[in-house]
Amino acid sequence: MTRTRSARTAPGDRAPRQAARPGRTAAAAGLLAAGCVTWAAVPVPGPGAAGDLLLAVASACAVFGTARLAVGHESDESRTFLDPVARAARTVADLIRAVPWAEGLVVAVLVLEALHRSRPWHTGLLGAALIAYLSAVHLAESRAAPAVLRPQAPLIAAGLGLLALAAGAAYLPAATGSSADLMAVLAALAAVVVGALALPA
Amino acid sequence: MRRVRLAWAPSAHAQRLVTLALAALIIAVATRRPEFAGVAAPAVLLLAARRGGRPGQIGVGARTSSARLTEGQDAELDVTVTGPGQHSVDLIMHPRHAVVPGAGGARRGAADGPGVDASVPFRVTRSGRRNLGVLGITLRDRLRLTEGQARIELPAVDCYPRPAAQRSRVVLSRLPSRLGEHPSRSAGEGLEFTGVREFVPGDRQRRINWAATTRLGRLQLNTFAAERTQNVVLIADASSEVGDPGSTPSDLALRGCAAAARAYLAVRDRVGLVVYQNGLRWVSPGAGTRQYYRILDLMVAGRSPGGPLARADALSRLPRAALPPGSLILVFTPLLDRRLVETLRDLRERGFSVLIVDVLNAEPTGSSDSLSGLARRIWRMEQDAIRFSLRQLGIPLVRWDGEQTLDEPLAPYTRRVMVSHR
Repeated sequence: MTRTRSARTAPGDRAPRQAARPGRTAAAAGLLAAGCVTWAAVPVPGPGAAGDLLLAVASACAVFGTARLAVGHESDESRTFLDPVARAARTVADLIRAVPWAEGLVVAVLVLEALHRSRPWHTGLLGAALIAYLSAVHLAESRAAPAVLRPQAPLIAAGLGLLALAAGAAYLPAATGSSADLMAVLAALAAVVVGALALPA
Repeated sequence: MRRVRLAWAPSAHAQRLVTLALAALIIAVATRRPEFAGVAAPAVLLLAARRGGRPGQIGVGARTSSARLTEGQDAELDVTVTGPGQHSVDLIMHPRHAVVPGAGGARRGAADGPGVDASVPFRVTRSGRRNLGVLGITLRDRLRLTEGQARIELPAVDCYPRPAAQRSRVVLSRLPSRLGEHPSRSAGEGLEFTGVREFVPGDRQRRINWAATTRLGRLQLNTFAAERTQNVVLIADASSEVGDPGSTPSDLALRGCAAAARAYLAVRDRVGLVVYQNGLRWVSPGAGTRQYYRILDLMVAGRSPGGPLARADALSRLPRAALPPGSLILVFTPLLDRRLVETLRDLRERGFSVLIVDVLNAEPTGSSDSLSGLARRIWRMEQDAIRFSLRQLGIPLVRWDGEQTLDEPLAPYTRRVMVSHR
């Protein structure tokens, strides 16, 4: 049996090395979201009206996504005897919880980046920031300490290596003909594999 | 320990990674820009490393650390989870009404080992039988991409009212002839000196007052007051749930009764309780620690929902054992129930010594228009009239707001004995 530490730890019991700090993690997620949106949007003015729209959507997703982390989990307490203001606040909090803001931000930021001209290292850094943002969102949501992500670290490091390779490959002369088609087919296959991995096992 | 089935699904983190990977790959294909495929790489690698081997069921046991809880007391829910395998365990308590999770409401268990023991702190803020709520159990794999969810209903706990502070006691002038700790008017074998009288054969020689004997030339004897006990019947009017939850007249009445019971039982008085709520429940006067817990149990039982509506005149039909003649009757009531007011008048006319502690701490709320203001004024005048009529009958009435100690409002009646009427 493994005993988890309770609120009152016994004398001599070691304190957890890295305690969960949901407030700090949520703040970090908010900052990362703001950074991602800004990074994808520069240079401003962006690429036309679509860019402006995507920037607005991404900004809204960043704000409401941070608000979602701040409001926390839904309470089971009855609302019957709440005053109208408290009831309205609960309803707004429910609406904020219902929308997947983080997913919206990821899509909006990537499309916004794609609207710009090709800038591989810029895109690579954006990808790394997005992974960091998603990790921060997960930590804030699950009220977990950063140490729980340690098993993911080697995989993320390998993925970032591939990201660097891809960004470097983008500087090579553009592929033409059959090699370009082969690359497109490989990317499409990878998309199918990701879809399959997303299905419940 | 019960077996609970787990519902497994990709975690929210995994869903977000899928979104990132799909969006990046689609853009990569559509724009033929390989750097976007690279953006998808970390997410794809993480998703590809997901493993199977998940337990379908786990064993969960939950019990409170203390069998008896008091309002506001910190307690812990001890939870044992068996069979999580190599998964981490997160516990989150979803409390029901009047239950507040303590600091760090969620607890996590380590992934290694056959099971996990965890303590979830909580606090019950109102007395009565309280349902603790639901415990959410989440198992996560090492990469936190798959989650197994289960929820179990937590047991109900009995929470006793938190006694208010009370040190002084109201003592009647006429006490039944039973040994106790209150000095009475009659002479006896107590410790309190009452006077000196002439020695008569048969008196105990050790009580001779030698100074007075020398002065008067005849044997003089010290006399002492007899020490008696008294019967105290507490009436808790828990029928009015007005005002803020946690400080309603019902809460105050129960806290006041708990304080009075503790104070009188400490000096070996016999204390009984009548709870007037969804029904009329009582416990006959008795002494000792066991009686104190009998009284608290009655308070908790009185707050359970259901039961027929009480008839206040049933108070006058209580058996003699529950309402012994000559008892001091302490009533904690907001005086909102007319039937109870009439019964108190009747008790007074039957010769009981009644003292009312008014615990009304709320007023009707409404808009600020003139009609509402007029209604509130009429309501206040009616309440004043009720209290005036009770005082005219000779029933002492004091106000208690639940914040101050009970000694303050009762001070005029605790400094000297309260004259009992016949």
